[in-house]
Amino acid sequence: MTAPAWLEVLNETMDACRTHGRADLAERLRRRRDAPPGQIRLGVLGFPKQGKGYLLNAVLNAPVCAVGDAPTPAVPTEIAYSAEPAATLVGRSLERIPVAVERLTGELGARPAGTLSRVEVGVPRELLSAGLVLVDTPPVGDPRSPRTAAALDLLAEADAVILVSDATAPLSPAELALARHVRTWCPHVLVALTKIDASPGWRAVAERNRAMLAEAGIDAPVQPVSAVVRQAAAKAGDADLNARSGFPELLNWIAEQAARPAEQSRALLAAVGVRAAATELVESLRDRVDTVAQDAGLGQAALLQRAQRRADDLRRQNTKWQNLLSDEITDLLSDAEYDLRERTRKIVNTIDRTFDEGDPAKVWDEFAPWLDNALAEAVDVNYTWLADRAEWIAQAVAACFGAQYDRALPDLRLDGSGVEGLDDVRRPKIEKFKVGQQAFTGLRGSYGGVLMFGLVTSLAGLPLINPVSIGAGAAFAAKTIKDEGGMRLQRRQAVAKQAAQRHVDDVFIRFSKECRDSIRLVQRRLRDHFTGLAEELADELTHERETIMAGTAERERRTVHIRREIDRLAGLHQRAGELGTIAGRQRRELSA
Amino acid sequence: MTRDVRDLLAAAAGLYRDDPRASALLHDCLNRLEQPLRVAFTGAPSSGKSTLAAALGEWPTRALRDLVLLDDPGPADDVPDATVRLVRHLEPDELAAAHPPGGSPFARQSAVNSVLVLSRADEVGAGRIDALLTAKQLARRAWREDPLCTGFLGVIAVAGQLAYGGRSLRDDEFDLLAAFAAVPREELERHVLSVDSFTDPAFPGPIPVETRRSLVVRFGMFGVRLALTLIRTGCDDRVKLSAELVRRSGLGELRDTLAGCFVARAEALKARTAVIRLEALLAAQPRPGGDRLVSRVERFAAAAHDFRELRLIADIRGGRTALSGDPAEEAVRLLGAQGTAPADRLGLEPDADPGEIYDAGLDALRRWRHEAERPDRPHAERTAAHVVVRSAEGMLALFA
Repeated sequence: MTAPAWLEVLNETMDACRTHGRADLAERLRRRRDAPPGQIRLGVLGFPKQGKGYLLNAVLNAPVCAVGDAPTPAVPTEIAYSAEPAATLVGRSLERIPVAVERLTGELGARPAGTLSRVEVGVPRELLSAGLVLVDTPPVGDPRSPRTAAALDLLAEADAVILVSDATAPLSPAELALARHVRTWCPHVLVALTKIDASPGWRAVAERNRAMLAEAGIDAPVQPVSAVVRQAAAKAGDADLNARSGFPELLNWIAEQAARPAEQSRALLAAVGVRAAATELVESLRDRVDTVAQDAGLGQAALLQRAQRRADDLRRQNTKWQNLLSDEITDLLSDAEYDLRERTRKIVNTIDRTFDEGDPAKVWDEFAPWLDNALAEAVDVNYTWLADRAEWIAQAVAACFGAQYDRALPDLRLDGSGVEGLDDVRRPKIEKFKVGQQAFTGLRGSYGGVLMFGLVTSLAGLPLINPVSIGAGAAFAAKTIKDEGGMRLQRRQAVAKQAAQRHVDDVFIRFSKECRDSIRLVQRRLRDHFTGLAEELADELTHERETIMAGTAERERRTVHIRREIDRLAGLHQRAGELGTIAGRQRRELSA
Repeated sequence: MTRDVRDLLAAAAGLYRDDPRASALLHDCLNRLEQPLRVAFTGAPSSGKSTLAAALGEWPTRALRDLVLLDDPGPADDVPDATVRLVRHLEPDELAAAHPPGGSPFARQSAVNSVLVLSRADEVGAGRIDALLTAKQLARRAWREDPLCTGFLGVIAVAGQLAYGGRSLRDDEFDLLAAFAAVPREELERHVLSVDSFTDPAFPGPIPVETRRSLVVRFGMFGVRLALTLIRTGCDDRVKLSAELVRRSGLGELRDTLAGCFVARAEALKARTAVIRLEALLAAQPRPGGDRLVSRVERFAAAAHDFRELRLIADIRGGRTALSGDPAEEAVRLLGAQGTAPADRLGLEPDADPGEIYDAGLDALRRWRHEAERPDRPHAERTAAHVVVRSAEGMLALFA
């Protein structure tokens, strides 16, 4: 015998569910596929305190389920046929603990939560003899609670579902949502309207419920029932009363479920399961496509535009900062030199003034330290100023980058002005007019005077050496000494000036060179720093654009992939629909 | 307490002098301190709010004087001082939804202004005749055991329809019910099985279907059955039946709780509302100089002993403390559960001699101080005793 067509579709859908990370859906389909044949499972679902237990007990005419104020079990109860009443607690690891039926409620209450997986009850009821299993479920509530999950889990194996809602109020939005969910997964659903004995307005509620279900496109009949009336009828053996309880119709419906040919039923259930899973999967995939498309639509253009804008900004910035740097450095070079020159010029003026009047021989010792200090100070001040300007330039250039400049300025600390390395000014050779030299000069002058006046007076018959010539000689000697002293002073002054000026010039030349070097160094450091930054920014930008481009490609690829998957699922959905049609049902199509 | 709040509001009014909306709010807060306590009835649609509010509201008793009952107020327009929350079932989802909202630390610490009501208690257990007893047990158990019921001053099962029907029972209705009760029980049984059988044309006797229908709409099937049983067992006139229906409905318990926890603490609860509104204003529209006001509000909140008393009363009654039996009863009395006047707290006659009151107060203070300092008791119990000591001290301070 070949595998039935539905099996193939089911397996394929399971694969798709697994591929797209919906193991839960795959598991549901698997349970649908592996459901034991020959069993019809009828689930009873409902929100708390709607009368589920009463309904089941009334269906079975036996107090099987906990009712009223007894705590509702947190695990499903499976009620099947057995010749003798029997109850078994099935533990977490599927160990089986038989208990007496009448003690079941108490036993359940005594077990700590979470130790049981289900309860199995056997009752000798004709209704169940053909393999019908009624499954009582924990009440549905908060969609996130494990109780709700356990109740909805039943849908994977249920062939039909009774949804229980009481007649004190119409279906709540949550109940309607539950009905829609159940109907998606299960082809046969009935809404049992309980407690009609106590609710004066139950007819209106039933009508309202029917209208709401029809409006929501959920095809499920509404069956009003009263367990109280059914119980009283059973007690009194009153068939008329029983008819009023609504239970005969309900039992008919249940019997119909049990009587369906097994293979047809399985095919239909498989088809419904595939369609439900495919629909859920397609919904989540569509969501994904939408998200992707939104990302793309919103992000893509904006991101690229922003990247483009940033690239333009960067280009402008590059020109701007480079120009600024070179302008500022040129200015700094000339300013620094001018400043140094200005400072040395003042020093030179002072030197001139000093040696125009003073005798180097006397003042040199005082003068030399002053000159050294003055030069050191000039160099130091100039250098400090230079460093400040360099710092300022760095900041000005950084400002060109605006908010993108997010790092520390480069280290512009220079090696120090080199003031310590200044040579002291060297003492020039300053000749003093010594006594011997004075005597010799005096002799030289007196010799001229004696000779000159001696010759003149010799004409007058006086000897060459006479008082006059001696007097003139003495006068000449004094004058010569004086003249010679003046000349020597001037020479000393000239020498000292020259020495001092040369020293200043030396210092100036050396330091203007040092300044230049420093400025060039600053320029190079700033240039390197900001070029690096600009390159980094450019790299970043390129990378960003690449990512955006790659993202687009990836997104497109994913979208195409998801769309293909949606198409495939739509195909499965349709094939399942055809199977469903074979099984005698018409359904709407899922469109991709 | 009210004076402190007045001072706070006055200071705040100075701060927000130039803001008409804030000024109006503060003015409203001040006015509210003079007005009756506002108790809101909240709950899901068709949980029986209006019925219950009507049943309580038509009760012209001293106990509920100075109370305004608001039937499901809007979320913003009217801030209630206290709340009666109705749930149809004591199920986790419903309880979680009914839980009082959070808010500022003070709002949470002083959130002792809600009573939980299991409404439509007559529907518990599929309308069996012992439904109300079962419902009361369920409520009691939930209050003691369910963590979701912590923070409520009480969990009370009330059959609102029965209470309202009982309170407004008319002579003609009593006569009808008495006539039905006169029919032999076995004969009547199948006709009171359900609404349909009760309003069936085949019902014996000349009473028209519409009359029977109006009866079942007013009292519910459970109410009709209960009334018939009560008439048969001795409630043979309208007044007796009315009283018994109301008694069984749980309305009295609700009223006592409202009187003890809300009316007796009206000043504290109104002050609480004002402070919470003030806190919200200070947080939403901070002003320079508001810090001082905020810290004053905090000081006020820290010193508010009333809320600690209410919380401890709820904890003791809800079985959340180690206290039980006579000490528990004495503790809740001293905490003011039966009235906040010294004589009420000490369980003395209202006209007791001041000297007698003082002596009894001193005696209670000594005993509870001893309890509060016993090293062999668990910490929680000593903390509870400390609250009682503080209440006793406050009482004696009135004589200083």
